[in-house]
Amino acid sequence: MAEILLSEAEKAFIHHGVQDDLRCDGRTRLDYRPIILETGLVSNASGSSRLRLANSDVLVGVKVELASPLSEKPLEGRLEFFVDCSANATPEFEGRGGEDLANEICRFLQMSYMSGDTINLAELSVLTGQQCWVLYVDILILECGGNLYDTVSLAVKSALYTTQIPSIKVATMDGDQPELELSEDPYDTKRLNTQNVPCLVTLMKIGNHYLVDPTPEEECCSSSGVVVAVSGTKKITAVRKIGSGSLHPESLVSMLKTASEVGTVVNKILMNKLLEEERAGKTQKVGFMR
Amino acid sequence: MPVDSRRLQGPESAFSYTLLKKKDANAEESVLSADLQKMLIGSNQVRKDKRKPTDARPLFLRTGIISQAKGSAYIEQGNTKLVCGVYGPREVQKKSDFRLNGQLFCEFKFAPFSCQKRRSHQQDNEELVLSGLLREALEAAVCLHHFPKAQVEVNIMVIENDGSPLAAALTCASLALASASIPMYDLVIGTAVRQLPKLLLLDPTRDEEWQPKLNHDENNSNLTVGFMPSMQQICAYVHEGVSNPEELEQMLKLVTEYCLKVQPVVQLCLKETIEKMLANEGENKDAE
Repeated sequence: MAEILLSEAEKAFIHHGVQDDLRCDGRTRLDYRPIILETGLVSNASGSSRLRLANSDVLVGVKVELASPLSEKPLEGRLEFFVDCSANATPEFEGRGGEDLANEICRFLQMSYMSGDTINLAELSVLTGQQCWVLYVDILILECGGNLYDTVSLAVKSALYTTQIPSIKVATMDGDQPELELSEDPYDTKRLNTQNVPCLVTLMKIGNHYLVDPTPEEECCSSSGVVVAVSGTKKITAVRKIGSGSLHPESLVSMLKTASEVGTVVNKILMNKLLEEERAGKTQKVGFMR
Repeated sequence: MPVDSRRLQGPESAFSYTLLKKKDANAEESVLSADLQKMLIGSNQVRKDKRKPTDARPLFLRTGIISQAKGSAYIEQGNTKLVCGVYGPREVQKKSDFRLNGQLFCEFKFAPFSCQKRRSHQQDNEELVLSGLLREALEAAVCLHHFPKAQVEVNIMVIENDGSPLAAALTCASLALASASIPMYDLVIGTAVRQLPKLLLLDPTRDEEWQPKLNHDENNSNLTVGFMPSMQQICAYVHEGVSNPEELEQMLKLVTEYCLKVQPVVQLCLKETIEKMLANEGENKDAE
């Protein structure tokens, strides 16, 4: 992430704090920073969300289009991720600097969504083998304040929750070409079941302990960590070790257990908040004015 | 992604002929765990290539395969074959990348003919991510502070992919680095394991590897681990599929036990390399 220069004294301070379960901003090791979430910001997208986790800001837009399904998977729709690290986020992302990170996040998201438990792509099929819905999930990283994986995954889950897919009827004609009929009512849409969509939890190891939701300074102090994708059913759908350090097998196992518990809690709270927002109805959008 | 304009690509409507294969009725149902297990393991608990579930494929290692490289290694694990070449330490190419510690540049590439589906000549996203994983794993094993302001290049080329390419790449790369006399803390041994609902398969072939499918049962996943046996540290960990922490713990135990068994094999290969090098040096001295 951003190039943070820390002196040895600062690193020692962070280490000692982590040992005593008191981080620089007063959190315990398993606390998240405050999250601001808003959905439905982008009128041209079928679903959108903006999530701000302290200093990390991510904007996600989902656009649905009709296309032909993959030849190996004719019964399923498609979900395509694209991550764009804006140069505003941090000086390192200038030009093509953010490409590697964007690629990693994109690929890890794909891996965590591919496991059969998460999202039912068969719901996106319109005509087997010929037409299906493709959901283009475009993630824009506006500001980088540490813990990008978590921020991105929560924003994507919120955006998918609010995505409206127009209903299409297939009117079969006499000839081979079936015709697709779009419903006249613009509000006649369906939504995907995003109950089991995974949330990513990043755990960084500092000394003998691990932290949830690291700040950029804490990321600089740590040499290794894991990113765990936890689905709504407390299952782990993808894990990746990040950082150039190494981990002891026992610490890795306990990190996975903690991540699974933390992820389940985060998932539940997120779903509750999204339901709350939905029930509040069409209030005025705050957007970036705050 | 940059498009390769120098090579002729096939027509866009071209697709793999294997899609026209008549789908086996059994294969359709085999997504369910019970049938999947029956398919992979016969009734007598033996896999398609006559291995037991916790048996890995026989390993073949050789160094010095690329004469121009500082160090190189070739690994064959069953039908998975790959080559690794190590160049360096040499000066960092881009002056802007000045750093006080040494740098490692890894390139992971599948040969276009190595997998069942033809790969492109340029690195696609999957290969870029695998390169990143390999680099992070090797950075944990290499003593970067021994060559400041310099870089070491590790190039992996997969000649044939029959399952667990990342695991083989980790072992091969660390053997190549060691034979190139790059200072390291420990060798990295890579292993993959496939999780089925009631069974674990060590070192899966491509057919046994986990593939994302609709309506997959729980506890179906693939795990690749890079382990440093002497230091008892994990330097690479990639898991895909649905699982839970208890099962992951079991898989990790199986993997670490196997890595400890393989370590002497890799060390023996390294020992033979050094003996050959010393023998060659002795001959040169006699010739003078």
